[in-house]
Amino acid sequence: MRLSPDQLIDVKCCIRPLRAAGPNLDVEHVGDRLVVHNYGHGGSGWSLSWGSAEIAVGKALSVLPERVAVVGCGIVGLTSAIMAQRAGLQVTIYAKELIPRTRSFRASGSFTPSSRVALAGPAGPQFGDRWEQMARFSWKMFRTYLGLPGAPVDFGDSYGLSDAPVEPRSRAADPAITDNYETSGLPRQNAEFAHLDDRIRDIVPRSVVLSREENPFAAAHVQRSSHMFFNFPAYANALLDEFFSRSGRFVMRNFNSPRELTELPEKVIIHATGYAARDLWQDRTIIPVRGQTGWLVPQPEANYSIRSGNMSAISKGDGIVLMNNNPDLGDMLGVGDSTEIPTRAPIEGAMASLARRLAPALSQDVSA
Amino acid sequence: MTRGRLLIVAAVAAATALTVGPPVASRSSARGVYTGAQADQGATIYAARCAMCHGRQLEGTVEIPALSGKFVANWASRPVGDLFDYIARAMPQPAPGSLSSDDNARLVAFLLRANGAPAGNQALPADRQALRRIDFDTVPPL
Repeated sequence: MRLSPDQLIDVKCCIRPLRAAGPNLDVEHVGDRLVVHNYGHGGSGWSLSWGSAEIAVGKALSVLPERVAVVGCGIVGLTSAIMAQRAGLQVTIYAKELIPRTRSFRASGSFTPSSRVALAGPAGPQFGDRWEQMARFSWKMFRTYLGLPGAPVDFGDSYGLSDAPVEPRSRAADPAITDNYETSGLPRQNAEFAHLDDRIRDIVPRSVVLSREENPFAAAHVQRSSHMFFNFPAYANALLDEFFSRSGRFVMRNFNSPRELTELPEKVIIHATGYAARDLWQDRTIIPVRGQTGWLVPQPEANYSIRSGNMSAISKGDGIVLMNNNPDLGDMLGVGDSTEIPTRAPIEGAMASLARRLAPALSQDVSA
Repeated sequence: MTRGRLLIVAAVAAATALTVGPPVASRSSARGVYTGAQADQGATIYAARCAMCHGRQLEGTVEIPALSGKFVANWASRPVGDLFDYIARAMPQPAPGSLSSDDNARLVAFLLRANGAPAGNQALPADRQALRRIDFDTVPPL
């Protein structure tokens, strides 16, 4: 893998819609329209999309419509639309943009089903079951995209590198931090976030420790795991192709208030506007969590990923995606920050740091 | 129609008018609803608060909406108040709600001018109710 700051072709920034109680899948009436919500998936929208769509479309189907409207065309809106079509419904998507210009497309594209998906307190104990249902359903659906031309969904080897033996991450609450979401409107430490990945340990490949002989990296301790990722162009094209080939209709439309939904001809509406729901639905429980990625041209010959100290370089079909997520801040990085302008320095820092983990001969130009 | 029926229709119309009050005429952005000075002030605010994301030429990016062209399709044929309210609630995105009403009106004036609406003698009011009665109309095609 070649990591060199002068080879960056893109830096993207977006806001994860962390909703304190977890994704909103409630149903409500606006005038005589039935609105089924499907928004607020934090950093887990791609990963939970199918399972979430299954729940939302199920609620829509319960009133026996022939057609539904979907508002929003990020990954959650688009999968909701397709699930509705697969159930035999006529679907029109109303949105400002198709998926390539939505916030969804500015994610990293890794299967991260419990990344900033809820705060444990506001979500309550029952949220784990709902999350697990969505995660398991989505996992099976992603398997239906494996091995297809263009690799819309794929697996790769991922190497976790460190100087010290890897310890299980501690998420104990820090008693010195007394503020929390309830008192201040924002989470104040990692322990407030819902961490649910253990619930699907039986289907997600475990990591294995590499022996010294197997370890090609400049790191004393290495773990290898298989990790699932989404190649945005191939996957988005597959989804859009299915949507339009099933006679789906797209209407460019901007909504200013929930009331405007009553202007639509469809009586049943799936509302999937992600972060935009904070304004459109005045849902102030949505907390912006900023994140950003850098991109290098695809290096299909380097079909693996490395991560170290919460910095990562993931080789995907649509490029090497670089992230620099501060290990001390963890889930708290970007919380409350709705700035959507990318900054290059942390990405370049991650590249320099990770390059030193690769064979020294390959990283000389960066570490010099 | 008989004369009697006509009278009934007239009476009903009068009664309706009485209940609703005289209709308030909407003004159109095509008729000069802001002043040039106001739009100039808006341009300064735009440069300081908006251009970092939306671009100096209002061109936007793949990810951030342009404030001309497609912008008209999103915001025209509805009251200017909708745009004013949206900016007041949601912009600038890193610090929503941080613009004063006067500055917001100046920005809207600037955006109207940038999208072909002519200036006039009267300033655009920084008042939500008044802005509800001003329509953002498209410029007639050439």
